[in-house]
Amino acid sequence: MFGQNRTVTGKVTNAEGRPVPFATVTVKGTPNAVSADENGNFSIQAPANAVLVFSSTGYQSSEMNIGNQTTVNTTLSGQAALTEVVVTALGIRRTDRGLGYSVSKVNPDNLLQKSEPDVLKSLQGKVAGVDIRSSQGTPGAATRIQIRGNNSFFGNSEPLIVVDGIPYSNDQITTTSQVSNGGAYTSGISNLDPNDIASINVLKGSSAAALYGSRASNGVIIITTKSGSARRAKGTEITFKSSFSGETIANLPEYQNEYGAGSQLAYSNANGSWGPAFATLDSIPAWPTLKAAYPELFPSANVDYRAYPDNVKDLFRKGFVYENSLNVSGGDEKSSVGVTASHLFHKGYVYNSDLERANLALGASTKLDIGINVSGNFSYTRANQEGGFFGENQVGGTASSFARSLFLARNWDMNLPFEDKNGLPLQPNVTGYDNPRWSARYNTINTNEERLIAGAHFDFSIKKWVRFDYTIGSNVARIDRREKTEIGSRAASGLGKLVLDNYRKQELESNFLVTLTPDISKDLTLKVLVGNNFNQRTITNATQTGNQFITKGVYTLGNTAQQQFTNDFYSRHRILGVFGDVTLGYKNYAFLNGTLRNDWSSTLPVENRSYLYPSVSASLIVTDALKIKSNLLDYAKLRAGWAKVGRDAPPYSLNDVYTINPGFLGIPSATLPSTANSSTLKPEFTTEIELGTQLSFAKRRVELDFTWYNRKSTNLIAIITTPPSSGYLAQVTNFGGIRNRGMEIDLMVRPIRGKNFSWDVHGIFTRNENTVTELTSGVDRIQMAGIIAGINPYLEPGKPFGYLRGTVSARDAEGNLLIDPVTGWMITADDEQMVGDPTPDFKLGITNNLRYKGLSLNVLWDWTQGGDIYSVTVNTLLGRGVTKDTREREAAWIIPGVYGDPNNPGQPLLVGGKTVTNHTVVSTNDLYFSAGGPSGSYGINSATEWAVYDATVFHLREVTLAYDLPKTLLKNLPFKGVTLSFSGRNLWHLAPNMPKYTNFDPEVNSFGSTAVQGIELSAAPTTRRFGFNINVSF
Amino acid sequence: MLHKIKFIIPFVALLAMSCKKFLDINTDPNNPVAVEVSKLLPTTQRTLGDALSMDEQNGGLSEILAVYTHQMSTREEADKYGITGVDVNIQTAWSKLFSSSANPGTGFPVYGVLQNLEDIIAKSTAAGNFRYAGIAKILKAYTYSVAVDVFGDLPYTEANKLKEGILYPKFDDDAAIYESLFALINAGIADLSNPAVNPQVPGADDLIYGGNVTRWVKAANTLKLKMYTQIRKVKNVSAEVNALISGGNLISQTSESFLLPYGPNGATDDRNPGFYTYFATQRSNHVSPWFYEILKGYNTRIFTGNPDPRIKYYIYNQVNATQNPREGNQTEYRDGAFVSIYFGSVGPDRDRSQQNTISLLGIYPVGGKYDDGSATVANANSGTGAAPYRFITYADRLYLEAELISTGVITGDAKTKLTQAMAESFKQVDYVIANYVRPAQNVPALVGLAAVATYTSNVLAEYDAASAEKKLEIIMTQKWLSSVGSAVDQYTDIRRTGYPLVFDPSNPSMAPGGRVQPPINGDPVNPGNQKSVPVQVSRTFALALPWFQTELESNPNAPAQKNPSIYKVFWMP
Repeated sequence: MFGQNRTVTGKVTNAEGRPVPFATVTVKGTPNAVSADENGNFSIQAPANAVLVFSSTGYQSSEMNIGNQTTVNTTLSGQAALTEVVVTALGIRRTDRGLGYSVSKVNPDNLLQKSEPDVLKSLQGKVAGVDIRSSQGTPGAATRIQIRGNNSFFGNSEPLIVVDGIPYSNDQITTTSQVSNGGAYTSGISNLDPNDIASINVLKGSSAAALYGSRASNGVIIITTKSGSARRAKGTEITFKSSFSGETIANLPEYQNEYGAGSQLAYSNANGSWGPAFATLDSIPAWPTLKAAYPELFPSANVDYRAYPDNVKDLFRKGFVYENSLNVSGGDEKSSVGVTASHLFHKGYVYNSDLERANLALGASTKLDIGINVSGNFSYTRANQEGGFFGENQVGGTASSFARSLFLARNWDMNLPFEDKNGLPLQPNVTGYDNPRWSARYNTINTNEERLIAGAHFDFSIKKWVRFDYTIGSNVARIDRREKTEIGSRAASGLGKLVLDNYRKQELESNFLVTLTPDISKDLTLKVLVGNNFNQRTITNATQTGNQFITKGVYTLGNTAQQQFTNDFYSRHRILGVFGDVTLGYKNYAFLNGTLRNDWSSTLPVENRSYLYPSVSASLIVTDALKIKSNLLDYAKLRAGWAKVGRDAPPYSLNDVYTINPGFLGIPSATLPSTANSSTLKPEFTTEIELGTQLSFAKRRVELDFTWYNRKSTNLIAIITTPPSSGYLAQVTNFGGIRNRGMEIDLMVRPIRGKNFSWDVHGIFTRNENTVTELTSGVDRIQMAGIIAGINPYLEPGKPFGYLRGTVSARDAEGNLLIDPVTGWMITADDEQMVGDPTPDFKLGITNNLRYKGLSLNVLWDWTQGGDIYSVTVNTLLGRGVTKDTREREAAWIIPGVYGDPNNPGQPLLVGGKTVTNHTVVSTNDLYFSAGGPSGSYGINSATEWAVYDATVFHLREVTLAYDLPKTLLKNLPFKGVTLSFSGRNLWHLAPNMPKYTNFDPEVNSFGSTAVQGIELSAAPTTRRFGFNINVSF
Repeated sequence: MLHKIKFIIPFVALLAMSCKKFLDINTDPNNPVAVEVSKLLPTTQRTLGDALSMDEQNGGLSEILAVYTHQMSTREEADKYGITGVDVNIQTAWSKLFSSSANPGTGFPVYGVLQNLEDIIAKSTAAGNFRYAGIAKILKAYTYSVAVDVFGDLPYTEANKLKEGILYPKFDDDAAIYESLFALINAGIADLSNPAVNPQVPGADDLIYGGNVTRWVKAANTLKLKMYTQIRKVKNVSAEVNALISGGNLISQTSESFLLPYGPNGATDDRNPGFYTYFATQRSNHVSPWFYEILKGYNTRIFTGNPDPRIKYYIYNQVNATQNPREGNQTEYRDGAFVSIYFGSVGPDRDRSQQNTISLLGIYPVGGKYDDGSATVANANSGTGAAPYRFITYADRLYLEAELISTGVITGDAKTKLTQAMAESFKQVDYVIANYVRPAQNVPALVGLAAVATYTSNVLAEYDAASAEKKLEIIMTQKWLSSVGSAVDQYTDIRRTGYPLVFDPSNPSMAPGGRVQPPINGDPVNPGNQKSVPVQVSRTFALALPWFQTELESNPNAPAQKNPSIYKVFWMP
């Protein structure tokens, strides 16, 4: 019978010419059916004159006699888009109309060739409910993604990322604290090749994720790769993509060039530009350090005292992003194969910062004669990141490459030598930082990552309504990092240091699934899934530190005089789960879904290791149920869901152990740990209610998807700060609660829908309130992470998650600032207070898409409203007097307030029972640089509250102008399609509440993908790129 | 076709099989669940030294207190008595004393004194290892005594009992704690004297005395002497101190001093935390001009015209007397080679970078460099850093006795004690350098120098001529000079006795018109013209240090933060 068949291929599209993904194609009267791919392409075996039936949920089925044709394209009519098929947990495809919860689908075309090599960053502003934050502006720096806020006090609140059915760790491996001297570390997802992505589905709520178990309480991002989802397709297709983008620093402050180094308008060889006006002084003593090193460069005792307006700008270079990718897919009626090979080279604007990544992915599938479908995929990634050290340069023993880069005294000539004749760093003033050019050359962090993914999938239907699926896979990520601090740096005692960090994480995932879809009646449909899941995570991590290089220029442990085993760690974590999922449908307009899962975790006490959690959700297509036929309202769906997700503990949290210390005076020793474990931990649970609606008006001119949710996590497994006098600084326990409540709006408006010209506006809105609801009795607040004295994130009932707490200036009962009568500065209060909330009020992204024939213009604006940032960059720009913000120098200032008692902060000084208005004058210099001690002003050495700014920011994020070459032009060429595009990224920003001339983009963050947000310690500014892209398919 | 998929079934069965064993993998393979007490003892001793030391990098109590006692000056919070409960030195010291804490910066754990001591006491008592128990009790008593001296009320009876269910210890009255410490010391002495055979005895793991029981008993008795002396104003302690002195079991030679040795930067970095300033990325520890001027004989009230020969052992100058500042900046205070800043300064030159120009603490207090006049920039190789942190020295014991005689608590000849104490102070410098610091450079011995004899006889002549009150001032000031680098008892002494007098920017006789004048010819760049410096102090002298703010905020049983200007430790009348 097979012998009579031929391969028939084709494409299923909708009335607008867009592909209908995963449409079902059946040979009428036979069980022979296939599913089209995400682009609507299908391939099926059929005899001549067969009738093919095309169906897809939400479309009217159509039939076609194929005659002798082997290529059949068909168009389905009906309500598209709103009834799409989406991929949900465990790769299960469901029709959108049957979902009782919100799932966003992202077209990978919206992410590629946008002058942004990072998949997550290119998602910014495109998915409602997802908060994406970048960190440093250097290549490969981690991006943080979060769905519906933090659910964990200290642990990871990032969503579970699943690629081709296997969890993909997005860990950021922090070798050195990013407070003091860490790098702009990568996170795991940067290994993923965007060019290989076939689809991204974002499951936002807990109910969407119940089947994934524990980690899915943070939402799930399901990524299907092209190679991993190779399916039978028509013939062979080759796609080649190439992009080149130039990169510059996006924003430099607007510097003043009237005053040079010094203080109080007098010259000194200082860091701050508080010295005399250039007009008033001709020359200054030659830089003592430079002159000592290169007397020949300074024939006179003096050098000109003048501005070097571009001294900061010249520290940076023009970078670029160059990316090439080749995708090949092919196959026959039974088997298919896909290969993606990509290469990226990203050279950052900071010298010596770059990222090179190569990906090779291979996938194949076939159908065995016995009826089993088998597919397998394998991918290999190698990434190499080079970059400098960051962090707070004021922490002892550190040397941030950005310590002074943006704050150079205006009269420093940075083109003078950056090292002496022995290769030691040289800067115009003695020390306090390493010359950034020297840092870039010698103090570098190299991170070499490799990732291997292997997966296999088997499926088989015994009967039409009984199907077995089995998936097994392994995802191994390895990091090999070398942090080098050369002899002469201010860090590492000037003796040099090498840190080697080797990290390996293997994740093993196995899923067995039985799907039952019995026919019940015409109106009722039933789908039952039962399955088993096994997950194992194994981590090994060894960190070694070598101190004191014996000789320069060789970066091996053997070349160090003193070695330490900083870390030697192994952990393994196992979870076994069984689950069931039942969906009942009525007349294709009402659906009810319930799930139940039980997990057994290795990390919980034996008596608590088994835990069960359910979810229910429902959806109703109101327009169908009420048979509404209206020109205004095309489609209306209501959905509701409730879900509970359980979560286990990190490994080894149950028993107390001792820590072995490095020796002292040759004597080995050990200590009790600072954190007490607890043998009675219980699983923590997150419950969520979600309500939503999808509406379509005026034949899809306006489409709205609205979701409201309320998610509560309780009895969290976390470490609670204990008073040190208890003997421990912290204890692992179950305590507290976190609430995330918010809304997500996805609005599509299509004002013009012509055949040649169309205009779409797509808006997404995300608002999430992340509140700590409770801690434990008697504890007012706990510190979430120790950053630096005076500014730390805290957890406190009733307050936003991870709010910033720090020193504030004292005020009297009426709220007047209390001024130290002696200095004229503000008295610092004894107690710290809340000084900011890093969580934005809302995020809004608006994409305008204009299309005229083959030409399209895509413009994305995004807006982050609110959220606070503690900015060392801004504080230092002001404190060092380098920007135009502090240009007004000859003025005298009086800080508004009343006199206070410095011995008793908070108490005003009363004269005759009345407060006294401050009339102590301070200079501009004093206004931004105070001496420290019990009082301060607005810049350096001030109370923390003055370095915290509202981080509201507007970005012109993305502009793409693309041109699809007309088919007629390609007629005689071997191309199926050619698209050329120009893209720009981060072209403009406005942060209205930052000091004007700092031009600071509050999008940067010093803590990468970790939970600490809203703290910036001299981070590398964001980037701006312009690119040209070409996409050719054969 | 069912048989064709049979191969899946065993696979699934394998996964589900023996679920329990499969999940029983949660035993930490990286860390031990039990260790011997000999591994815990060195931890507690080192951490005690670190917590009290002048640790500019990670924080330690002497980092603050040396400023409060005017041996050091700084631009940091300790200037103008500005320390609050969030200060990193308070944080580090408090956390290290009570519990193990992660050491900021290095990522290494740093280890709790009291929590580990309690573990030693419990385990060694149970196992009959009485020497360990005795040493641990004496260390615990010393730790609490200095903590009370500095902070006042503290958690004591309920402290270090988290595993017994006490998360939030109450704060005990400081006087009551002191009282029970005497009993604790006696219990420690009793343990040390217990004739039972100990299965395990301390040896090299006892970094302080190498397991020498006799010396531990002497240290314990000397600690009692010190504590009784400290409370003499609120209690008649004559009987107790007479008994201790007549008992003859006190620290009675240089080698018996109660101190924590540090070592060089060898296989591990064992240096005195105070040496950090030699390679600090930003040196914030300046030597106080007040201290310097007393050493030089510039002070017009005391030891006037009598230069102290220890100055080259105490202070290292990075420049010579005629050199320009290496940074090219105007200095605030300069006296030839000596460069520093004033306490309370608001002068224009205070904040100028002088990283490689300022004077540093020298070879004796921190294991730095003996000032041989080479005037080279200090770096990590300038010294070994192996100076010990001194808890109670033999010299301290002699000064305590001189004070007790001078104040009439006991009878005796105070001048003889002062003479002995001064001689021991000089000897101690030589001893520490030769036995601990072991410098590469050639350092002459002090003992036997003519300058030492001259200095001593001048001080004694001044003592002879002084009033009774002034005699006490001379004793306490000599003690202060002798104890450079260990500022905790200095701070207690100043608060108890009022001596030595310290610089007060608001005192018109010390800073007339709010200005203080460095030596007019001290600056080679501006000979004859060194500017006077405006000084201020907004807060008055702190009578105690604030409690660690996190302790207060995380402990519902903690009191409200104290006002350090008025809070009195119980031994202050």
